[in-house]
Amino acid sequence: MSLTKVSLIDVVKKQYIYKLKAYSQVFMSLIFLQLLAVLFSMNGVGSMGGSTGGSVELQVKYFSADFVAAFTMLWGFITAILITTKAYRNDDFVFVANRISSNLSNAVFLLTASVVGGITAMLSSYLLKVIVNYFFKSTPILDAPIELLLGIFSTILYVFLFCALGYLVGTLVQISKAFTVLLPAAFFGTLILEGLSGKAGTVANVFDFFFTESSLVLFIVKIIVSAGLLFSGAFVLSNRLEVRG
Amino acid sequence: MSVIECSGLTKVYGGAKALNNLSFKIEENKITGLIGRNGAGKTTLLKIIAGLLKETSGELKVFSEKPFNSLQVSANVIFLHDQMNLPTALNLKELLETAASFYPNWDRELADRLLDYFSLNPLQHYNGLSKGMKSTFNMILGLSARVPLTMLDEPTSGMDAAVRKDFYRALLKEYLAYPRTIIISSHHLSEIEDLLEDILLVKEGKEILHMPVDILKEWAIGLQGKTTVIDEWTQNTEVIYTKSIGIDQSYVVVRNHFSETEWQRARNAGIDLTPVTSSDLCVYLTSKTKGGIDDVFNKG
Repeated sequence: MSLTKVSLIDVVKKQYIYKLKAYSQVFMSLIFLQLLAVLFSMNGVGSMGGSTGGSVELQVKYFSADFVAAFTMLWGFITAILITTKAYRNDDFVFVANRISSNLSNAVFLLTASVVGGITAMLSSYLLKVIVNYFFKSTPILDAPIELLLGIFSTILYVFLFCALGYLVGTLVQISKAFTVLLPAAFFGTLILEGLSGKAGTVANVFDFFFTESSLVLFIVKIIVSAGLLFSGAFVLSNRLEVRG
Repeated sequence: MSVIECSGLTKVYGGAKALNNLSFKIEENKITGLIGRNGAGKTTLLKIIAGLLKETSGELKVFSEKPFNSLQVSANVIFLHDQMNLPTALNLKELLETAASFYPNWDRELADRLLDYFSLNPLQHYNGLSKGMKSTFNMILGLSARVPLTMLDEPTSGMDAAVRKDFYRALLKEYLAYPRTIIISSHHLSEIEDLLEDILLVKEGKEILHMPVDILKEWAIGLQGKTTVIDEWTQNTEVIYTKSIGIDQSYVVVRNHFSETEWQRARNAGIDLTPVTSSDLCVYLTSKTKGGIDDVFNKG
């Protein structure tokens, strides 16, 4: 029987299509989480009120997809960890795969998941506003389309960043189970220590670095470079990992 | 052309050597039986060949390439075993479709017909199948993929006798129609013996022997007779197995070095000469002690 020649791109493409089908549960959990977040946002994510002399009472409530977006980022993080686990990795190697193709198709899959997550998260604000309109008899103010597009785009990037972080964390855990304790300990440890000392430390700086960037171009560059670094780290680390098949 | 070439292959698992300096070659388009006791390193060897595990030391070439992380090897090898997990989200039909997308030689019609013949419901999920049905499905994957190197680890585990028979027949028909290199690891050597061309016998990660089945059948001989006579005859030969029968009779298996005249003399001395079946011989060769389980109970 003659040998089959395959190219990396071709295998990655096939694996990607296979993963879209095989990992479909991931999207079910996305819908569930987003609905939950919409429910939580029903009371508004922020409000202010005031009265002037007893005759006029003003109440302003903010309804936004912030909660949904935050839940979606968390979902991206968890999904990325999930697909690095043994059960999912073994699924790859049932058919044609090597570690590079498996990692690449995972990255493309996570990008797709981020796009789906980002778009649905931002559109959920409309669902929220429709609900508010119907049940609370108030007329919400809608965003301009350009702002929506910008919102979608940046949410996609944020979700993707969290996916990349989750992918690296998941890979580290696959290499050694010690990381399941070490990583949370390191994260919460710094958080608590910095909280006690009372000054802005690493966690706050990292948060600022990504979440308070006002230049769109710089923001895109930051996210893409960071996600790229996180993924490459995971690729290099997992290149020696064995699978059960 | 050799499909698999390995020399000095060693795999260490947490201090223990699962494979210990293994060297062999497997030629193209042969059906080889990989035989050994539980824990002899059969599955480890197959996983290394499939590129799932990395060897600790030694050299291994599959289609003249190192299998670990090789896409070419992965595309030309299919490895099926009974602890496989397939994606839980897909049903059997979708799994076959996925396999079809990965293997260019995939025979869709054969897969569908086999699925139908073994009455597997295409809408069922792999995890819901019984052990024997999982093995049956693995076999369908393995045969329909038509991959140059097909490796089946304990392919009949859990199958009932009827399905096992069908499986051997299907395997042979497929092999004759589309010759390919096949490695089967199995405990049921007597069942697959007729299917095999070569046998590779491993014990504790080492190769004991690697030869055509026909030669293996004549490789050793069983001698039975009075213990004193037998002892005298087997003094200078390597004893593979010995068992005492009654008080003064014993049965001994030795390498078959006897010439025609020696045979005659042995018969005259009152020794029964009997051929040893390959499956018995493999059991003898891979046992840790010469006397087998009897040694455990014979404290004296």
